[in-house]
Amino acid sequence: MKFVSSQCSFDYPWNYVSASAWKKYPNEMSSHVVAVDVLRREVNPETGILTTERLITCRQPIPRWLLAIVGGRDTSYVREVSEVDPVKKTLTLRSCNLTMNHLLSVNEICTYSPDTSDFSKTVFNQVARIEAYATFQRLCNKIEDWSVERFRQNAAIGKLGFESVLQKLANTVPEGMFKEVSTA
Amino acid sequence: MGNLMSASFAPECNEVKTKYDNCFNEWYSEKFLKGKGAINPCEELYEDYKACLGTALTARGIKNMLDKAREDAPFEVGGRTQEELNEEFNKPEKK
Repeated sequence: MKFVSSQCSFDYPWNYVSASAWKKYPNEMSSHVVAVDVLRREVNPETGILTTERLITCRQPIPRWLLAIVGGRDTSYVREVSEVDPVKKTLTLRSCNLTMNHLLSVNEICTYSPDTSDFSKTVFNQVARIEAYATFQRLCNKIEDWSVERFRQNAAIGKLGFESVLQKLANTVPEGMFKEVSTA
Repeated sequence: MGNLMSASFAPECNEVKTKYDNCFNEWYSEKFLKGKGAINPCEELYEDYKACLGTALTARGIKNMLDKAREDAPFEVGGRTQEELNEEFNKPEKK
C-alpha cells in the first residue's frame, strides 16, 4: 500500500474556486478526462451541504504489461462523491476507481478551503491511497509503483489544467461577482 | 463566453446534460453560495438528463460497478468508507 499527497494554493477566493471546480473539465492539459456525469445531487435541508455523486470517464494509455493483465481496455471509470459546505467554505471530493478494482484500488480525498491567512487565496490538499491485490508481491509493487507515478503525473497536470480554467473564467466573470466579504 | 462543460460518457445525453449544467452553474453561484440554495430550479432539467443516463449506465455495464461502490461508500455519508467513518468517530474532539 502506498500513499501520495500534495498541497498547493490558488490565487483566487474560495467561492470562485469552488464554482470553477464544476467547470474544471474539459481543459487542454487533462485530456485523459473525457467525460464527467452527475449521477445524483442533493442539498441536505438540515445542514445546507450540497452532496454530488459523479461518474468520471478517463481514457489514458496504459503500459503493455498492465494492458495484458486488465484485458486490453484503456477506458476507466471513477466514482466521485463531493460535499460543499457553503458556510464553512469547504469543498471535499472523495473518489475511487470503478474499473480494475479487483487488481488495484486508488482512493483519493481532495479538499479546497480558504487560506485563513489570506482570503483571496484557496488551499488545496490531496491524499491518495494506492493498493494492489496481485498474488505475487513483486507484481503488486510494480502495479503500485506505476499507479503512484501515474497519479503524480495526473495531479501535476490537473493543477495546471485547473489554473488555466480559473484564468479563463476570470476573464469572463464580471468584476466583484465573487468578491469575498472578509470574515477576519 | 463561459467554459465549455464536459461531455457525457453517453453522447446521446450531451444535449440534456448541457441544459442541466448551465442551470446548475447559475444556481450554484447566484443562489447556493449566497445562502439561497433551498429551492432547486434545475430539477426538471435534471430529471431529463438522469433518465437518459440511467439507460446508458445499464446498457454499458457500469451500473453494477456503481452499485458495489455505493455499498462501500454511500452517498448519504458523503462517500466516506466505513474505515473513514470509524477514524472520524475515534478522533479526539478538535477545539
